Amino acid sequence: MDFADDPAAAEFRAGLRSWLSEHLAEYAHGTGYESAEAVERTHKWHKALAQAGYVAVSLPAEYGGRGLPDSYEGIVNQELAAAEAPPSPPIGHIAHAVVDFASDELKTRVLPGLLGCTQVWCQGFSEPGAGSDLASLTTTATADGDRFVVNGQKIWTSGAMWSRWCLLMARTEPDLPRHRGISMLVVDMESSGVDRREITLASGSREFAEVFFDNVSVPAANLVGERGQGWQIAMHMLAYERGPADMGWVGRLGQVIATAREAVSSGQLTADEALRQRLAAAAVDVEVLQWHVARSLANRGPGSRSEAGSVDKLLTIRIEQNLYHVVNDLAAASFVVGPPTTFANYLWSRAQSIYGGTQQIQRQIVAQRILGLPRD
Amino acid sequence: MQIELTSEQRAFSDSCARLAADLAAGWHRGRGPGDIDPPAPDEKAWARIADAGWLALGLREENGGIGATAVDLAVLVEQLGYHAVAAPIVGTLMAAQQLQTWQAPAELLADIAAGTLRIAPVLTADLRSFAAVEPAWLLRQDTPNVGPATPPNLGPTAPPNHGETAPPNHGETTPHGHGQTGRPARGTAEAGVLAWDAAGAAMAVLPALGTAYLLADATGFADVTRAVRPLGEPAMTIDLTIPGDDALAGLGAFALSLLTADLLGTMQAALDSAVEHAKVRSQFGAHIGSFQAVQQLLADSHVLVEATRSATYYSAWAVDALPGAQALRAARAAKAFASRSAVEVCEHAIQVFGGIGMTWEAPAHVWLRRAQADRLALGDEHFHYAAIAAAEFAAASTSKSGS
Ligand SMILES: Cc1cc2nc3c(=O)[nH]c(=O)nc-3n(C[C@H](O)[C@H](O)[C@H](O)COP(=O)(O)OP(=O)(O)OC[C@H]3O[C@@H](n4cnc5c(N)ncnc54)[C@H](O)[C@@H]3O)c2cc1C
Repeated sequence: MDFADDPAAAEFRAGLRSWLSEHLAEYAHGTGYESAEAVERTHKWHKALAQAGYVAVSLPAEYGGRGLPDSYEGIVNQELAAAEAPPSPPIGHIAHAVVDFASDELKTRVLPGLLGCTQVWCQGFSEPGAGSDLASLTTTATADGDRFVVNGQKIWTSGAMWSRWCLLMARTEPDLPRHRGISMLVVDMESSGVDRREITLASGSREFAEVFFDNVSVPAANLVGERGQGWQIAMHMLAYERGPADMGWVGRLGQVIATAREAVSSGQLTADEALRQRLAAAAVDVEVLQWHVARSLANRGPGSRSEAGSVDKLLTIRIEQNLYHVVNDLAAASFVVGPPTTFANYLWSRAQSIYGGTQQIQRQIVAQRILGLPRD
Repeated sequence: MQIELTSEQRAFSDSCARLAADLAAGWHRGRGPGDIDPPAPDEKAWARIADAGWLALGLREENGGIGATAVDLAVLVEQLGYHAVAAPIVGTLMAAQQLQTWQAPAELLADIAAGTLRIAPVLTADLRSFAAVEPAWLLRQDTPNVGPATPPNLGPTAPPNHGETAPPNHGETTPHGHGQTGRPARGTAEAGVLAWDAAGAAMAVLPALGTAYLLADATGFADVTRAVRPLGEPAMTIDLTIPGDDALAGLGAFALSLLTADLLGTMQAALDSAVEHAKVRSQFGAHIGSFQAVQQLLADSHVLVEATRSATYYSAWAVDALPGAQALRAARAAKAFASRSAVEVCEHAIQVFGGIGMTWEAPAHVWLRRAQADRLALGDEHFHYAAIAAAEFAAASTSKSGS
């Protein structure tokens, strides 16, 4: 067992550190999705990070990754947090679906844009009638010669408004049992028949949309994996979406702790003994989360069980939601008075137990598939 | 012992609910934060509020009021919370009670009761207490100053400090030694004080200065159903008299009871709406309310709502029935419990809604915003736990040294 970096990892870490020390100042405004300018800043940061070689480091080099072990994703997260840099782009789960299942031709065509962050992607899974029960989705992709014709509606699609590509789950075999009739397609969002409508989040952030597909033509070559393999691919990638390192969460949470800690120790904000202890408890949580993620990543490989992602996700939900209660109290009146930053972050922490499969669904997965408890 | 609302109070609650629902129906959340109606009722809506007698409720008859009990007021305010009414009624009730306690002239109070003078209370920058004056001769620090003394600055985008430390003051911190009776001091308002629930208000009074101030434009506030506004220029002086300890403690208890009732209504609305959603939303071929995980969230929420209802009733009853200090102790406990519980219930409601609960369009965030902002107004649970603990340990050390 070795939690420490080996020489190669240490060198990688040092390289990232020095890159950050040179380039971070340009991104001092941070990132976000509340306005067009914030979105532009966010995408610029993602691109710069990708160009420097720090996005999707565990994905194959031939498609724009670096072919490094999964544990390097953890290093990226740690270092971004330590430098108080904006988070890395949340693309690990989508990238894994494409890398692990798509044809070479499709990979060559779309991965450079995804991993290089020059083209934005979204994930078209949820529908108005299919949230937790994803397998009940009704969007159809009907085979028609060398293309599919897509009809239906997606909802809660993060980033859809500025995405070029959508990884879409659609029903291709209506006659098969529901889990077996779903396929995964890469859809060009600029195709005719795609209509996106913005949904404003409770925080005011504008990164959500409904997407309508009206006879949208998708080349058959954009099928990821086999027809009917969509469910399997989705489960595979949800494990990566649920894994906190891929989504940049550990980094974000570490950064929140660092900022709070600095504000208290510099006297910029005062906290009584009770509040200091709650902050210490939250900091301990995040530290343990970092160790846990390091272990998860070190153990993750092609054959690993997707349920492990649910453990990580549940741990993250618990730690993040408690952390924000502490942060809110540290912020005192500025939690509710003045610029809405703290309140918006708090609202995000509530979303953590909904997206990527709700807390209730994750608990069910852990209870039934890991602990082996009976299904009712 | 009869611990439920009387039939008159139930009828009053129904009539409050009807008007509250009507007022809420006239207020639109729009498509996002840039598109929302301000939380200020128009003249017509304000006239309906005044005609219903709501603004006169707490004032005594000689002040143009109705002289209702604090329980009656809690009944009204629960409905305002339930319907998330975006009109500054709670703020007006609080300011009116404060001015009555400071023996403001009857004509001024009558104008407030009639709705012709729209007025708001002033809270310290940390929102924990009614604002007082600098220097702090008027205050005595009985309780430790818990939590951050100045608003923190979490990250580059957080606001700069917008206020100075003020000792907690819920009434038990009355003047001692110098000039505790008679006329308010001359002085200037502390930096960063805020008129609370002040949408549409013409002015806000700092009783400790005997001065009414005009109000500046609203500052950003998480609760979209209320506004907080910095003070502007002094508008007039008002002839006031510093109340005694018991009256000030009673005022603190009264104000906390209103907030507790508002939290109760807010959490009840969130729960009812989540229960309704759980009965109609289907996944996996069943209503989500049939899944135990969902049932448990909602059942726990119901327990918290019922306990908060008991606390609200006790706290409101105590305002009229117990001496000021005891009423304040009860009100602190009730407000602390309600603050914590309301947030939990609203968070559970969002969880039950799933994705739609995270949208601007759905009302769930409005309840959460109101719960969090009410929670901070006049002190969150941690503030009151600390005050309760301080008082209790002080009592313990006194009795020890006495034995
Ligand atoms: C911020 C955010 C970003 C998102 N981004 C995307 C995206 O990019 N692409 C995408 O496709 N989707 C996205 N989603 C959608 C997300 O995946 C769904 O919201 C989620 O799967 C829940 O589905 P639902 O909203 O329909 O809730 P529902 O499934 O209706 O759930 C409502 C409640 O019922 C509970 N419940 C449901 N079934 C059960 C059960 N069997 N047992 C116990 N409890 C149950 C849930 O836990 C929840 O509490 C996003 C959501 C959010 C909040």
